[in-house]
Amino acid sequence: MTQLTPTTAPPPVPEAAGTIEHATGPGRRRRGGLLGWFRGDGPHTLVFLLPLLFSFVLFSWKPIVDAAVMAFQRTNLITPPEWVGLDNFATVLGDPLLGAAVVNTLWFAALALLLGYPVPLVVAVLMSEVRRARGLYSALAYLPVIVPPVVGALLWKFFYDASPNGVFNTIVGWIGVGPLPWLQDQATAMPSIVLFATWSAAGGTIIIYLAALVGVAPELYDAAEVDGAGVWRKVWHVTLPQLRGVLLITFILQIIGTAQVFLEPFLLTAGGPANSTMTVLMLIYKYAFQNSLGGDYGAATALSIMLAVVLAIFSAIYFRLTKSWSTS
Amino acid sequence: MSSTTTRAALSGVALLSSAALLAGCAGAPAPEASEGAPVTITVSIDAGLEKEARDNFDARVALFEKANEGITVEAQEYTWTAPTFTTDLAGGTLPDVFTIPFTDGRGLIANRQLADISGLVAALPYADQFNPHVAQAGQAEDGSQWAIPIAAYGQGLHYNRTLFEAAGLDPDAPPTTWAEVREAAKKIADATGEAGYATMTSGNTGGWILTTLVNAFGGRTESADAAAATIATDPAVRDALEYLHELRWDDDAMGANFLYDWGTINQDFAAGRIGMYVSGGGNYGNLVTQNALNPDDYGLTVLPLQGADPGLLGGGTLAAVSPKASPAEQAAAVKWIDFYYMAKLADEATAVETAELAASLDQPVGAPELPVFGEEQFAAYQSWIAPFVNVPVEQMAPYTENIFDQPLIAEPRVATQDVYALLDTVVQSVLTDRNADIDRLLADVQTQADALYAKAG
Amino acid sequence: MTDTRTTRSTRRRKDAEAPDRGILSLADWRRRRVRVTTRLTHLILLVSLFVVGLGPILWLAKSAVTPTQDTLRQPLALWPNGIDWANLGEAWTRVEIDRYFFNTVIIALGVWFVQVLVATTAGYALSVLRPRYGKVVVGLVLATLFVPSIVLLVPLYLTIVQPPLLGQSLINTFWAVWLPAGANAFNVLLVMRFFDSLPREVFEAARMDGAGPYRLFRSIVVPMSRPIIGVVSVFAVIAAWKDFLWPLLVLKDPAMQPLSVRLPQLQQFIELDVFLAALAIATVIPIALFLVFQRLFLNGASLGGAVKG
Repeated sequence: MTQLTPTTAPPPVPEAAGTIEHATGPGRRRRGGLLGWFRGDGPHTLVFLLPLLFSFVLFSWKPIVDAAVMAFQRTNLITPPEWVGLDNFATVLGDPLLGAAVVNTLWFAALALLLGYPVPLVVAVLMSEVRRARGLYSALAYLPVIVPPVVGALLWKFFYDASPNGVFNTIVGWIGVGPLPWLQDQATAMPSIVLFATWSAAGGTIIIYLAALVGVAPELYDAAEVDGAGVWRKVWHVTLPQLRGVLLITFILQIIGTAQVFLEPFLLTAGGPANSTMTVLMLIYKYAFQNSLGGDYGAATALSIMLAVVLAIFSAIYFRLTKSWSTS
Repeated sequence: MSSTTTRAALSGVALLSSAALLAGCAGAPAPEASEGAPVTITVSIDAGLEKEARDNFDARVALFEKANEGITVEAQEYTWTAPTFTTDLAGGTLPDVFTIPFTDGRGLIANRQLADISGLVAALPYADQFNPHVAQAGQAEDGSQWAIPIAAYGQGLHYNRTLFEAAGLDPDAPPTTWAEVREAAKKIADATGEAGYATMTSGNTGGWILTTLVNAFGGRTESADAAAATIATDPAVRDALEYLHELRWDDDAMGANFLYDWGTINQDFAAGRIGMYVSGGGNYGNLVTQNALNPDDYGLTVLPLQGADPGLLGGGTLAAVSPKASPAEQAAAVKWIDFYYMAKLADEATAVETAELAASLDQPVGAPELPVFGEEQFAAYQSWIAPFVNVPVEQMAPYTENIFDQPLIAEPRVATQDVYALLDTVVQSVLTDRNADIDRLLADVQTQADALYAKAG
Repeated sequence: MTDTRTTRSTRRRKDAEAPDRGILSLADWRRRRVRVTTRLTHLILLVSLFVVGLGPILWLAKSAVTPTQDTLRQPLALWPNGIDWANLGEAWTRVEIDRYFFNTVIIALGVWFVQVLVATTAGYALSVLRPRYGKVVVGLVLATLFVPSIVLLVPLYLTIVQPPLLGQSLINTFWAVWLPAGANAFNVLLVMRFFDSLPREVFEAARMDGAGPYRLFRSIVVPMSRPIIGVVSVFAVIAAWKDFLWPLLVLKDPAMQPLSVRLPQLQQFIELDVFLAALAIATVIPIALFLVFQRLFLNGASLGGAVKG
């Protein structure tokens, strides 16, 4: 980091939080009022904030407000939208596909948690002990994250070919397991999708855990050893507690991420077979962009808002419960 | 969501059919006395055209503009899809002239999402010579023609001659009944390990092919007056699903992959993994140019028909005009449709030129299709393009020789794509769940279809 | 709150002094049983990582030059009937992978620029210039982090179709992808945090010397923020390369579509071996970039974690 040495004038008395005063020397109050704002940094600050304001107003805040509004309207882009009260919510709640979508999304989240939460942790713990060429391990672990998800999905779709000559079927054939249906069976389709999603994302989680593991103070391990702890006890009593913050955060982020899963089922099975991999996000997409009469944007935004509310409630409960456990 | 019939229609340049036209009627229209302000129209063209095809298109545009002073034509690469149609319309990215599949024609017309060009169409010289089965796809309730049919096809049973031979079947004597289809499928599966019979199941194509099967079994999925769905009430629907269930579970003749849509089933068929499948009759072009099918492997026959009142599901492509076009633009648009789309069906010189260009680009010429006008004109048309035909016609003879004996049926009229989507789920269930309760599934679909019919009024 | 500088220097210290200690102490390492078990575990781990991480990619590379029938009938065999280099050429020219590749690059560059611009200017304004209404803006930005992106999907799409001030829709233009990318709260907060950690004295000194806010930004803040711009850039480019749903919605014209949108649709049009070659070509650049800028990627990925923790 470059450091500039102060020149002739003595540095001003450091003020709390370092507000940049106009160069009027220490102790002087900022000139008040609109005039002061104009003559000071005011307009320039606004200039610097323009890109953010432009982006957020148009592409973040306004759409959020729009979503809340559209959920109560019927929009068809040609005629002005009309208010329909809670009709959209009723439509969504009355859709037979909603139950399937919710169950499938929960199922995906549960499977993803089962597979994608502990495995990266174990791998990271093992990797943290590697002495030589840890970079190689990291690179190999992160490689699937680099592969664009679309390429990965199309590749795995081919791997999952259910005929005896399919790539995975050939491999499991080596250990004597018969050809598996993978994506072609209602029971195995979702686990297959989760397997791919985990392969694709685990690397990122591994790297995050690894960084946190390396940051654990060695003195803690020394202290544990003084108390006679073996390897497993050190992991249980020192490593994991130290990682608590990261573990809690990745847990909730994973839940929020898997609740919005779209690309994997969309590309691998298009929601099939028989809607067994249709998720909430795919249903929203279906309402908005797969409606042969033009999009039902009201239903789509209604369902999005419902999902957002559920996630918000879940996060609130989660943070309250884990408040006492978190170290931060 | 792939629009299946659009794809079939877009597959080759040579979508030629016949017209009972007087010799010099179509073709270069009489020079238009410019009335009022000059008019510009945007017309859709296929994406990804090869250079010569694009040059040829531009040349035709120049010809048209010369013959019609005051009209300027701009091309826009555009493929119509149902879900994005309203946003295209609202966002102003819809061209003035675009093509839509038969499936969606009546729905769009009922919603007034196409321009009413029926007056202009009625003024065309061949207006009353359309094949009625084909023309109805672009008609409003009162019979006025809001969209012009430019291509038509009927479903067919595609089969792989090489797999037939490997299974000991005669590739020149394909099955003529559904029982024979089942036998052949089992033989192929046993002998080669490939899927003897396969069917599309996703992206609304499952419902499309199931409806085809139901029609071939002698039933319908919609009542004659298009007032209600007959999915749970017509026994042929159950029969068709039972048939698939037995093929899949009892005979194990459908292979191991079931999540097919229009593109992926073509791909697997071309790769030699499927013995037989049902799809649009004009698929040959796609299979050969895009999926590298070996032409020697290809065979095509008609669907077996059985039952009391069977029919062949037909499809095709309509040319339509954007509802936002002004009257002057609509008039120009209809002139363009007449010049560009209809001329190659009706005028010998244009037909020959188009066929010649397609052949030179190694596009298939002569793939099977149905007449947009009448049969005699179709025969005349076939004779015009005969010198350029480069598809293996003998291998398609079981289809082309019998297709005119099959009664043509239109697709269901109400909420077509949505009902197809519902039926997708049923077909997928039947193929992936041995214990699928067909009656319950059909009852579910019937309830949801009833709601759709009620909403459509 | 992890201090990023401490983590970095700790890591440097660890790399420099090997053997160091992690969970296993030096005493542990001296015990033969621990050593052998650990080495064995690491070997198994390495082999597993090779197979799982590298395996699919190597298979793709192999199959890209294998004819369709071989891939279908003997997917794990190594070129039983010879290599088919033509696949690559065909994918590049007939399928025009070069055009979609080019589109992907254009999109990534535009997104990178917009994200860096918004994040650095906003971070500077909120963290260094500190206007009085700054807290409100930060609060509003923070609030958007709690709204799942799906809520924005439809209204954002409609905003693009009918933008408020412009007369025409932005569909089928790259602006539809570039502009919304700027509204990324995570980037803004990341840069703000970074600027917060810079020493105030430097700014004060520069202001004493009469530097205006623009000069301060250009000559001092930007050069100092190379690390964080690096991180933001890596995130931005990776995210743009992987983006699927949004370009699928707003880029309908095939000529403008990036690889992620075009490849699934291409599957319908081309035979398997050319398709796999196209997939392979689409993967080469991200992997090549990764191998070259490995440290930057991994630091960025872990920094994200450190900041979160």
